[in-house]
Amino acid sequence: MAEMIIKNGVVYDPKNSVDGEKNEICIKDGKIVDNVGAGAKVLDAEGCLVMPGGVDGHTHCAGKINTARIMSPHDMRYSPIPGLSGPEPRTKLLRPQVGYNTPNTHAIGYRYSKLGYTTIAEAAITPMMARHMHEEFESIPILDKLALVLMGSNWQVMQYIQDGDSEMLKSYMAWALLASRGYGVKIVNPGGGSNWTWGKNVTGIDDKVIDFDVTPADILIGLAEANEALNLPHSIHVHCNNLGVPGNLPTTLDTMKLLERVKASQDRQVMHLTHMQFHSYTGTSWMDFASGSDQIADYINKHDHLTFDMGQMIFGPAMTMTADGPTEYRNARMFDAKWSNYDQELEDAGGIVPLAYTPQHFAHATMWSIGLELALLVKDPWKVMFTTDNPNGGAFVNYPEGQVLLMSDKKRQEVIAGFPDMTMDRISLPNIDRELDWGEMTVMTRSMPAKMLGLEEKGHLGAGADADVAIYDVKPDKVDVSVEHEAVKKALGFAKYTIKGGEIVVRDGDITALPKGKVYWVNAYENGIVQTEKDRLITDLEERFKKYYSMQFSNYMVEDAYVPRPVEVRPEVA
Amino acid sequence: MPVIKDVVCTFCGCLCDDLEVTVEDNKITKVGKACKLGRAKTMGMFLHERIEKPMIRKNGKDSELEECSYDEAITKAAEILVAAKRPISYGWCSTSCEAIEKAVVLAEETGSLFDSTANVCHGPSALATQEKGAPSCSLGTAKNYADLIIFWGCNPVHAHPRHQTRYSTMAKGAFTPNGKKDKKMIVVDPRNTDTAKKADLLLQLNPGTDYVLVEALRAIVNGHADVLPDEIAGIPKATVMEAAEMCKAAKFTVIYFGMGVTQTRGRYKSGDNVSSLVSDLSQTNKVVMIPMRGHYNVTGFGQVAAWEAGFPMALDFSRGVAYYNPGETGTNDVLMRREVDAFITGAADPGAHFPQESIKYLYKIPAIQVDGYANPTTEFSDVVIPAAIAGVECEGTAYRMDSQPIRMKKLIETTFKSDEEILTEIIAKVRELKGEGGA
Amino acid sequence: MQTVTLTPKRSPVISIEAEMITPDVFAGKSDAEIGAIPAWEGNEEITLADVFDVAVDGSADAAGTKIIIDGNVPRVKRIGEAMTAGEIVVKGDVDMRCGALMSGGSITVEGNADSWVGREMTGGEILVKGNATYYAGGGYRGETCGMRGGKLTIEGDVLDYLGEHMCGGEILVKGNARLLPGVLNWSGTITIEGDTTLPGGEMKSGTIFVKGKVLEMLPSYKDEGTEEVDGVTYRKYTGDLSRNGEGVLYVSV
Repeated sequence: MAEMIIKNGVVYDPKNSVDGEKNEICIKDGKIVDNVGAGAKVLDAEGCLVMPGGVDGHTHCAGKINTARIMSPHDMRYSPIPGLSGPEPRTKLLRPQVGYNTPNTHAIGYRYSKLGYTTIAEAAITPMMARHMHEEFESIPILDKLALVLMGSNWQVMQYIQDGDSEMLKSYMAWALLASRGYGVKIVNPGGGSNWTWGKNVTGIDDKVIDFDVTPADILIGLAEANEALNLPHSIHVHCNNLGVPGNLPTTLDTMKLLERVKASQDRQVMHLTHMQFHSYTGTSWMDFASGSDQIADYINKHDHLTFDMGQMIFGPAMTMTADGPTEYRNARMFDAKWSNYDQELEDAGGIVPLAYTPQHFAHATMWSIGLELALLVKDPWKVMFTTDNPNGGAFVNYPEGQVLLMSDKKRQEVIAGFPDMTMDRISLPNIDRELDWGEMTVMTRSMPAKMLGLEEKGHLGAGADADVAIYDVKPDKVDVSVEHEAVKKALGFAKYTIKGGEIVVRDGDITALPKGKVYWVNAYENGIVQTEKDRLITDLEERFKKYYSMQFSNYMVEDAYVPRPVEVRPEVA
Repeated sequence: MPVIKDVVCTFCGCLCDDLEVTVEDNKITKVGKACKLGRAKTMGMFLHERIEKPMIRKNGKDSELEECSYDEAITKAAEILVAAKRPISYGWCSTSCEAIEKAVVLAEETGSLFDSTANVCHGPSALATQEKGAPSCSLGTAKNYADLIIFWGCNPVHAHPRHQTRYSTMAKGAFTPNGKKDKKMIVVDPRNTDTAKKADLLLQLNPGTDYVLVEALRAIVNGHADVLPDEIAGIPKATVMEAAEMCKAAKFTVIYFGMGVTQTRGRYKSGDNVSSLVSDLSQTNKVVMIPMRGHYNVTGFGQVAAWEAGFPMALDFSRGVAYYNPGETGTNDVLMRREVDAFITGAADPGAHFPQESIKYLYKIPAIQVDGYANPTTEFSDVVIPAAIAGVECEGTAYRMDSQPIRMKKLIETTFKSDEEILTEIIAKVRELKGEGGA
Repeated sequence: MQTVTLTPKRSPVISIEAEMITPDVFAGKSDAEIGAIPAWEGNEEITLADVFDVAVDGSADAAGTKIIIDGNVPRVKRIGEAMTAGEIVVKGDVDMRCGALMSGGSITVEGNADSWVGREMTGGEILVKGNATYYAGGGYRGETCGMRGGKLTIEGDVLDYLGEHMCGGEILVKGNARLLPGVLNWSGTITIEGDTTLPGGEMKSGTIFVKGKVLEMLPSYKDEGTEEVDGVTYRKYTGDLSRNGEGVLYVSV
């Protein structure tokens, strides 16, 4: 696989200001380079669309999803999208595949690759459960991976914030990333996970956490400032309080305003807000609930300290899984649905509930509209990541559906035409005719997530980038996506070529090779924390383990055996 | 003397990880902190009959097992599996997740049924999870928070001896600093067990009436106590009411449930109704449930099989992709119907735990055993492959009863191959026989 | 009208999976074409001709196609799966999942049916003249709904979990039903002419008639007095109150 050159492609590489040009792409030893020799293998893209490999910066793909699998044997037979879902027998090359919302690990690797995605970020894992996640990571073929580590209801975090001990907070965060071989800091319903262990919740950023003298706002600011002091590549990644609650808009706006005071340590946001769709509701109940997307978009258009992802809803069966324990319990009771819960000692909560979304229900129709409104009303695509919060809003195999919706007003209007009348005065989508172009789509699905996460070798096709490339059977200069959306959707679901680390892994929609991916993790502990602070932290942790944990301190940290192909990122020490 | 600290005990689903093991001359001479069962397990190779050499029967079931090489035994095993139309691979619960991953591959490539010991113990817990979910928590959360412990159909004093001191009734935690004094205990059991004798309340129900008792408790919680008869499941209504009141008075309740729930009349329907009871109570109180798993890594089998192939047990790979339907694809379902024509088992002892009718049938079909110890399964096995003991002679991952993965240590050297190595070699041989190289 | 007669050639021990035995698949096909239809025996792919002699008389669409299995097939699974029209008559026993996911047409089993007969059926009719075992008219693992429509009649006895997760349709058992019939029901009607144990566990709504004896009654039903339905006097119970259910359980007095 030494050298390859991709010719005759219509290339979109926004980071390097390439907007649909017939550039050649040179690959050597798994990396993009400026030139290759005459003997390089030539790949003729035949005028098709060429983008960097997709980056999913927020997906639930390893760890908690396994409980969802055990809950839903029926999901294993669902096949709404042939070729990307349902049971498929083994072949000489491929392991058997099953599932739609909760596919087995092998299917996750194959299907993301077919979509042209090459990097995924598991969005929520506690340090204590990270070993399990890494076992699944190792079983997911092809893709590069990274993990966001839950810290928003962690006892150590809350204790050190309560004590005003920012050094211990920094040390612990760096240690927790090391212990879990994690990449970034995730905050889910700050403080709420801790309260949920008592069956309670918080209702806004100024509520008190029951067992610590801190508020969600204190947790957000504490973690954000320490995150920047550690100079981590990713900002804090936040799931706001009050997810899915009508009238949660003020909480979301409060959270965004709160972070204005934090200074970024590098050229990126100080906070990424995830699955914004679920956090943009006005009203006081489901009866008067409506879209608050205009207010959210207005704020984001005027401020540069944050990014967000959509959390787009896809109609049909979904599987919700989140560290937001109280939300899942509420869902389960509301829909008389099955419910799993997990309270992880000292670290966070979590729940899993299967749901189904239908365009015939005004609430679901409104939620579906909000996700699209947010992405279309925010002017700068570099602030928006395309997601469905897989599989909470919908399974990732529906990404082509969601992407085409952003590119075709016609398709949106076709869907909206089927909505109940009760939806229409709750949404603004019918009046938004913006259609994203291929450059903007490339930003939202590749370049922005890579930049937002601080992954320098992902999301672009400049020299030095990983040779992760997606080529789709779409002729950008000939196709009118607005009209031919179904054909484009099909093409986005089955890449003509997916190249991963310089190797062709998909050809004409079929998997051709199964390389193993890398796992990115951030080591801010080794160099980032001075020895005296390390000693202080370890002494405290040993005490806490003896008293409160159910596992020995020495057995806690993820062993190297679980991360056989690590990429260790060491932030510069400020 | 070299003492290895924080060793993971590989007996039951408690997976205690604080053992102190003394090793002298590659022999374990002392096991500190373990319970009786854990000590016996960890020192097992000096207490039980070890399978010393690979063995095969050359002339059918009536002939003696004869020693052979690993290669010969592995080849014979592969030949049996490749020739079979309806092979089954069973067990793999007292071994590492890494070995289980290989066992999944072998089952896929031989079109086998693939099942765990949950078939005869906690399988219904997985079924209950499918029906209603698993509202649970980690054992450390339980230790720190729980002020009411319910043992339902389990007897930890005998089956999980350190459970009460490490995680439940006697454990001291953040909000239960005084241990036992801060907690109440209810036991639900037809027998007045040694665990029950220490309980604040014993619900001594009639055998097989767990479902009925859960129904009554849910009716009380949901405001319908008035319709209940004076006696439920053989227990006076007032006593059942008292139990419900204790749940409502508690801040954090954990229900630990065992085979008394999962293997009696109604089986998983009882377990899943307990799950609904948890949900109902959660409207006003914090309540969770945790299965008391027996084999130390039966939980790991479920985890590995689910992520690798979609289902936690009773997988049928005969058509190239797993079909799952316990009752149809479980080990004893097909053995009772005499549908199986080859059997491979590892790290389990079906010979000691299966119904008589299944065992009788196992004497009639080609059988392969991968295990460290000779046991009743050896009696009917045609190929016997000795294995290293996971967590003693080789490392690997195991999942605790609360689904917490922990890495097991290697304590001593061995010349035996690990389960993982043996399975890898059988897979290679199967591919060779089927002409499927590579991958 | 097309009549397809399948005569068993052997008595397999390993169950044959033959979900292609439906009028929908057989309609308009010759005996050679039907004989070549794939089936599975364990991990081996076989054809229907490996198991049956096939005789075809006439040619028609699915609705005009009648399949006669002329013998005992206690080890042939999935007969009539997902059929939409036409008729199947089995002159003996059938294995599991007969008529699963069926939406139309009719199946008559003259002998006994193994577990999951009529699993998740949405329409059509199944008549079992002998006994059935577990989960007659039940659901698939993890799914919310079992049977959603159609009619399932069993003239003999059934074992546990009759009509589990039922969301619609009608079940009639002329003999006894063992444990927990109608468990977790959402809707539909179950009639048991014989005796049963713990009917209606966690029933949300739906209706169960028991014309024989209830050998053991759940504690969580409310006694609403007697009521006459179609000339029969029943004691009427509502529940299951364990889950605030609104189902109705009639037990003959």
